[in-house]
Amino acid sequence: MYRLILKMAYKNMFLRVHRTLLVITMIAVSMSMMLGIQGLYDGMAENMIEKNKRSGSGDIALFAKEYRVQKELKYRVKNASSIKEEIENIKGVEAAVLRLKAEGLLSTARKSSFAFMQGMDLEGENRFGRFEEFLKEGEMRLEKGDAIIGLELAKTLKLQIGSKVVFSTQDIRGEINSIALKIRGIVQTTNIELDNSAIFVDIGEMHRFLGTNEEEATQIAIICKDEKLIEKLVIKYPELEIKSFLELKPTMKMMQDVMLIFNSITFFIVMSVVFVGIFGVMYVSVLDRIREFGIMISVGMRYKYIRVQIFFEALFVGIIGYLSGAVLGAIILLYIKNHGVDLSSFSDALEMWGYEAVIHGTIKISYFTTTFAAIIAASFFSILIPLRKIKKLNPIEVIKADK
Amino acid sequence: MIKLQGVNKYFFRGEPREVYALRDINLTIEEGEFTLFGGASGCGKTTLLNVIGALDGCESGKIYFDEKEISSLDEDARTTLRLNELGFVFQAYNLVPVLSVEENIGFIMRLRGFSDEEIRRRVLEVATLLKIEDKLKSLPNALSGGQQQRVAVARAVAAKPKIILADEPTANLDSNNSQILMNMMKELNEKEGVSILFASHDELIMKSVKRVITLNDGAIVDDCKQ
Repeated sequence: MYRLILKMAYKNMFLRVHRTLLVITMIAVSMSMMLGIQGLYDGMAENMIEKNKRSGSGDIALFAKEYRVQKELKYRVKNASSIKEEIENIKGVEAAVLRLKAEGLLSTARKSSFAFMQGMDLEGENRFGRFEEFLKEGEMRLEKGDAIIGLELAKTLKLQIGSKVVFSTQDIRGEINSIALKIRGIVQTTNIELDNSAIFVDIGEMHRFLGTNEEEATQIAIICKDEKLIEKLVIKYPELEIKSFLELKPTMKMMQDVMLIFNSITFFIVMSVVFVGIFGVMYVSVLDRIREFGIMISVGMRYKYIRVQIFFEALFVGIIGYLSGAVLGAIILLYIKNHGVDLSSFSDALEMWGYEAVIHGTIKISYFTTTFAAIIAASFFSILIPLRKIKKLNPIEVIKADK
Repeated sequence: MIKLQGVNKYFFRGEPREVYALRDINLTIEEGEFTLFGGASGCGKTTLLNVIGALDGCESGKIYFDEKEISSLDEDARTTLRLNELGFVFQAYNLVPVLSVEENIGFIMRLRGFSDEEIRRRVLEVATLLKIEDKLKSLPNALSGGQQQRVAVARAVAAKPKIILADEPTANLDSNNSQILMNMMKELNEKEGVSILFASHDELIMKSVKRVITLNDGAIVDDCKQ
């Protein structure tokens, strides 16, 4: 019996082929647009988070207690090198780096600005977060007297490759000390803090400049896969302050939440369109065939079979719409992922918020599975009112209407 | 086989436009009968057919089908009765447009759970009897009105119901097709032994049947066996 019902449902779908095609097209187009928007939003957020992790704190960062509040060199991790080695040997840890950071004044002959100097091991940073990929201009080289500077800070101080600057700060003895540096490279990390205020030097040179020893650092940053590593580290190093990326960057969490809300609203709107589309086509289709259903009931067909038939009809429309939308959406997502969307005309505004001018999307299986589940649900709910119409149908009235 | 005792039915009960549709109907239909409910339009013949066919209920009285009272059955039991014991032929054919002639004829058999082989064999048998065996793969809209009505009759008879209820089956047919259809139904009545009840005012049917029950204003005014 169900084979016949399936056949009837399938054939009924093509009884008004233009109407059905219109709804399928509507579902496919709206769904593909939704997938594109979801991929773009998530791509923006993930790209920003990924670059912030690579250039900044990684997944987890360790500091001496009070350092994040006081930002003074006296709150540094004394045995940072040993801790780093221990952490690197923990399963799930992909990379770890030491950083030494000091706030001060960066000056040229004409201008000066607040800045912080970050001492780092360039090779280690490349392993940690492919730092060389952030190079916008110049070269990625940190020898004695060399510095790499954030793009926005370079713009503020009107610095170019080869420009000379002086960075002044307090060393560990409390003396104001200055170092002359030559700009070798300009980087754009999309990490606002780094782009606006950072000047990078070799960590060894910074130790010599500040008077710290090579065992010390103000931050240990870790890239890892194990989400529970932070719990182990908190137990292992109780003397340190250990924070996850999102704890250190609550704005990123907020941005993720905002993107989730945007995506949910888009999803809701599109699924409402799908629901209304399927409901419309099913309602009209049922009204068109009300006599047919009346006769089926008269000759002894049970309501449950009619219910199954109507559900299959709605499901066919939904699934064909879904498949078309999934293919179209996958093409759009692949394009956005590989080529990106060029928003160069808004680049200043985007960079101010830490986004790139060319935004690359992302593709997740969950986009397709969630949409599939929602379309099945929309198909189911869209037939409730048409079914109610049939349930209340009096076959006598239908037969009378024949005459 | 079918027995009606003191059956009364009203339309719009309690409203100013109340209509007495069936008045104190007492009637017995035996197995294998070929009977017509006749009378002017609005006399209650279709209503009587619907009440017998468990499509409609009645306000008072009792209806028995094979000694079993059916007037008090719930909707589910009435659906089962219609499916297993009765066959229907309507004025407007009412075939399923997306199914082939073969599938339409076998539709009720499939609802009743007959096997594919049984359905195939019986559909061919009935289609041959009704001379539509060459149309089995066609869709209903490719057939003439007379052929569509024959498919409707075949659908009604295929599952071997005890009784077929035919409401104005020739109303949409020309005289030639009406005659062909009546001859075929008569043959079915004789060969298959199925009882057939018509509701019609068609003279042609009136001449073909063995018993004519005439209604007027919802009451039986004449019961004539010919």
